Amino acid sequence: MGHVAVVGIGQSRFGIRSDASLRELAFEAVKACLEDVGVQLAEVESMVVSVASDELSFALQPSAQVTDYIGFHPKPSFRVEAACASGSMAVRAGWMNVASGLADLVLVVGAEKMTEVPTPIATEVLGRAGDSLWEYPFGMTFPGYYALIAQAHMAKYGTTEAQLAAVAVKNHYYGALNPYAHMRKEITLEKALSSFVVASPLKLYDCCLISDGAAAILLASEKVAKRLRKNPIWLRGLGLGTGSLSLAHREDLTTLGASVEAARQAYDMAGVGPKEIDVAVVHDCFTIAEIVAYEDLGFCPKGEGGPLVEDRQTYIGGRIPVNVDGGLKSKGHPIGTTGVSMAVEITKQLRGEAETGRQVPNAEIGLSHNVGGNGQHAAVHVFGRDKE
Amino acid sequence: MEFRDFSLLIRDTKVHGFVDGLERGELLASKCSSCGAIQYPPRSDCSHCFGTEFEWVAVRGVGTLVSFTSVFVTPEHFTPDFSGSAPFSTYGYQPAPVGIVEMEGGLRVMGWIPGVKAESLRVGMRLAPRPEVLPDGRVTVVLAKAEG
Ligand SMILES: [Zn+2]
Repeated sequence: MGHVAVVGIGQSRFGIRSDASLRELAFEAVKACLEDVGVQLAEVESMVVSVASDELSFALQPSAQVTDYIGFHPKPSFRVEAACASGSMAVRAGWMNVASGLADLVLVVGAEKMTEVPTPIATEVLGRAGDSLWEYPFGMTFPGYYALIAQAHMAKYGTTEAQLAAVAVKNHYYGALNPYAHMRKEITLEKALSSFVVASPLKLYDCCLISDGAAAILLASEKVAKRLRKNPIWLRGLGLGTGSLSLAHREDLTTLGASVEAARQAYDMAGVGPKEIDVAVVHDCFTIAEIVAYEDLGFCPKGEGGPLVEDRQTYIGGRIPVNVDGGLKSKGHPIGTTGVSMAVEITKQLRGEAETGRQVPNAEIGLSHNVGGNGQHAAVHVFGRDKE
Repeated sequence: MEFRDFSLLIRDTKVHGFVDGLERGELLASKCSSCGAIQYPPRSDCSHCFGTEFEWVAVRGVGTLVSFTSVFVTPEHFTPDFSGSAPFSTYGYQPAPVGIVEMEGGLRVMGWIPGVKAESLRVGMRLAPRPEVLPDGRVTVVLAKAEG
């Protein structure tokens, strides 16, 4: 298989984007991505689009809105879906497109418009990503599922609400430095701990935002990548795991089996281990999810995710900087966009182009971790730059 | 958007007998006729051996609370003023905690824990899953304090 590089990146500002439609958001990201590398759309051979939800977009094949608006037809384009991990599926499908030799230059786009429906309906659509037949009827929501994970983690390992809140404080600190973030505002531990309960023990500041936004990356074969850029970022390892639909079917609620499996595959393929990762973005749809991710990805032993963030080891300068773009928590989580935006962020970090205050110095290897639903899918991607 | 027509209905599945069981006061799991695997929630098709014949077995006894939550920001169907039809009754249980108990043998069962606040619950508590007929005549699963 040939090597695959990220040669272009772009994204829209995240937020409540009542000023732009789904297709216009996607256009913002695609334009920025093509300009980043100086490629014309006419040179792009194929496209993969991630829009997670028909329900939120009120339409089947919402990806057609994107391909049409950027003027891509009649060239090949298709859509992929895995709830909140849809974006990483698009990155994976893009990689397959290039690695298989089917195309040398592939555009990967994630776009989502979530704020057009009222919160109770969005809550319902998201909640039904879990077991819609057997668990949703107990009024389960996305925060509800992760609350069950949190409660189990707290009982088994002594993880505290203050440790959960420490994740939010960190991610808001970095989100405030990211011009693309939805909520560019620092918060205090006290504010996080005193916010209202969404699903006990998770409070408002334990939960990510409902956001609109788009992101795009351009993937290239080795031959084309070297022509387009001096220092392309290589997609070196890909992992994809799956897990049970019902939480009640899991023997251990404190880990996501899909993440563990995806990480194993990605580390193997890239030939690296967790200690060699210089910067990571992980799926912090809820603060507990970031703590579980530290453990599932091997950044710390099982059960020590809470102390890891409390000791500031996931800040820049710590053992492993995580979500220094603000994460889903503060940057925002337009669900189909997130995985692509993660690839944008890691590429930016490895190029040394992140904004002041949130660039990890001299990062060579980066990792993205993206979860669909409450662990039905998980994707881990390892990126690296050429050594100087 | 309207969700009441989405298929949440256990009655429209191959394991519709589960609902009849709840109405009789029995909580039922499926037992694969080929390999003997017992599964909850019940399923007509075995994921261990791909067998498609099963029999019902009752889930009895007391389990251990594995986790719980109380959901305060509710989905559309569970908002207090929701007037449409929902396949599982939500009557009177807002915002009751929801929990998962593990039974002897490893089956795990989700249910409402009505009449208590989440603060009074602890992982490891003993609770018994059982069917409950609600005031609107429909059935659900609750986790009740173990007797004695
Ligand atoms: Zn069987």
